[in-house]
Amino acid sequence: MSIDESPARPAAPVPFDPELGAALTLIQQHMPPLTSLDEIPALRANSALMPVPTAEQLSRDGAFDVEEREVPGPAGAPDVTLLICRPTGATTPLAAIYNIHGGGMIGGNRLVGLDSLLDVAQELRLVLVSVEYRLAPEHPHPAPVEDCYAGLVWTAEHAAELGIDPARILVAGGSAGGGLAAAVALLARDREGPALVGQMLMCPMLDDRNDTPSSLQMAGLGIWDHAANEIGWTALLGDRRGGPDVSPYAAPARATDLSGLPPAFIDVGSAETFRDEDVAYATRIWQAGGQAELHVWPGGFHGFEGIVPHAAISQDAGVPRMRWLRRILAP
Amino acid sequence: MRELVGRVSALDTEAGAAVRVIAYFDRLVQAHAGLEAIVRGAAMLAGCPACLSDPDRHLRIRVRADGEREDARTAPDPGWPAHHVGSGAAALRLERPGRAGPVDAIVLERAAAAARDVLDRTWGRAPARPGEDPALVELLLDAAAPPQARLIAARRLNLAGDVRVRAVAEEGGRARIERDPVIITDRPGEKRQGVGPAVPVPELPESWRLARVALRLAAEGSAQDPGPRVVFADELGGLMVLAAAARPDGEAVPDVLALERAGSAAPWTLATLHAVAYAQSLRAAATELTIHHSTLQERMAHAEHLLGWDVRTPQGRLRLQLAFALRRLARHPEPGRPADRRGRRVNPPSGG
Repeated sequence: MSIDESPARPAAPVPFDPELGAALTLIQQHMPPLTSLDEIPALRANSALMPVPTAEQLSRDGAFDVEEREVPGPAGAPDVTLLICRPTGATTPLAAIYNIHGGGMIGGNRLVGLDSLLDVAQELRLVLVSVEYRLAPEHPHPAPVEDCYAGLVWTAEHAAELGIDPARILVAGGSAGGGLAAAVALLARDREGPALVGQMLMCPMLDDRNDTPSSLQMAGLGIWDHAANEIGWTALLGDRRGGPDVSPYAAPARATDLSGLPPAFIDVGSAETFRDEDVAYATRIWQAGGQAELHVWPGGFHGFEGIVPHAAISQDAGVPRMRWLRRILAP
Repeated sequence: MRELVGRVSALDTEAGAAVRVIAYFDRLVQAHAGLEAIVRGAAMLAGCPACLSDPDRHLRIRVRADGEREDARTAPDPGWPAHHVGSGAAALRLERPGRAGPVDAIVLERAAAAARDVLDRTWGRAPARPGEDPALVELLLDAAAPPQARLIAARRLNLAGDVRVRAVAEEGGRARIERDPVIITDRPGEKRQGVGPAVPVPELPESWRLARVALRLAAEGSAQDPGPRVVFADELGGLMVLAAAARPDGEAVPDVLALERAGSAAPWTLATLHAVAYAQSLRAAATELTIHHSTLQERMAHAEHLLGWDVRTPQGRLRLQLAFALRRLARHPEPGRPADRRGRRVNPPSGG
């Protein structure tokens, strides 16, 4: 048996899960593919891609105290906004999820995807902190990751004030947010920053080279394909994208040392750009002597769970993540 | 997705939403999706629980609007929008009161078609259906047939055991048997149908007798014969007695002749009077007829003049309802009796 890895002739695409494929027919016209940097403003304006909760939805009928804090950003950079949702009436310090939103490094904001994280925070009684970071291409690397890291450092240093147990903070993110969460975990390790209890990486965007079999195989299909990925990375890195001197804090797949990291939870669909880089990241964590839990959901396109929550496979995908959180965050 | 689908229906024209609904189920079928995915699609697109049930195959799949499977048994409400799945007793229901809107109707229709394909492919054909074998149906409806032969016919039609069934008489003389509860929609262009009461299988001949009476009271649903095309015998009450008394060879009733006279005076008269006879209020009648309230008042004054009685009092309305019922009984003689056998059909008088 031989595996054809020639980029010139990618393998046949992995078919989408039937329900996800059908859902694509409904949503594709509202999610035009990203084909050039010029389309970034239109993508940011397209709220269909990323529904955000309202202020009332954030508080969940008083289940959470919601506040925003302006905290010091990276040296010489503007302050960073943190959205903090704290379960009301907590008397002991709680575990916290430090969330980094997705959006391909070029879009989204601290509210994106918060609805499902609030479900988790409500059920497990967690503090949810969501960071607003500067976006590429206006703010290329290292602005986004340094904003995220600065917010994490402030959160850990002010844990007592926020009612957070500093020993139980985990970083989490989806898509670009997953890549940034992985990078923040690398930074925390290398700078001897906050101790993290885990890193929850949901279909993370890790590798600027954009040349894995899955990236080529799924080109032109689903959500956030090869072309969109190239635009996102180019916005973040400019000409350095795919070159020899890309920092692991920009693209964690570039890290040569994945030892000494907090336990990772990684999940991804089998029918998307990031499948192979995400599987490789888990594999390399194991090879470096670390812990990772990996789930590959058959026929899942990028972000399927948030976009098509009713599908059977989306419902299933939420279950192991919840169980991992319960295990990892148990006091 | 619910947000996205919500936006799809908010942003799209009805036709656009319909196109996407069709594409959704086509895609499911192409990908060989299972029944649960199809029912979930209906629930998600309609925004309410959806349930596929097939008593012949002992199958039930219910999915909530959020996509969670929840088979908790709730008796189907006859008011819920429903669609047959194939020719059998299987049906797909949206668990929401009221008529299906145009997009929901397409959701039901496409989901039912997709589910039928999966059922035929994976569950095999359902047992023979009542109505697929006219000879067996005839045997079951015939009180004079030997009990043993009727028992065998019931088994071959998968009607053995403790089932309740209704005989249905169709315009043109065809008979069929439906399991209860039954969904029969009153659609323009469909045949008139009379539905007998739900009975155990041995009592089918009586259900059949009453179904044929009900058929006489079913209207064509046209301007000249307004009213429901599908009539259930067990909703008729004393009208059954009236039907038995109104012999096709009896004398024409003066009130029926008055209705015919009014009907020939202007094309809108009969539909207007029928709406007034059965609507909750005059305002509701005007809405049903899509005319202005004041127009209705004018038309009624005219119609009352032609009829010769006031139709706005309860007594006048009852008299009008009875006139319509008697007119239908005269127009639709018992099956097997030619309408004009003895020249009894009431012909509209010429002139007005």
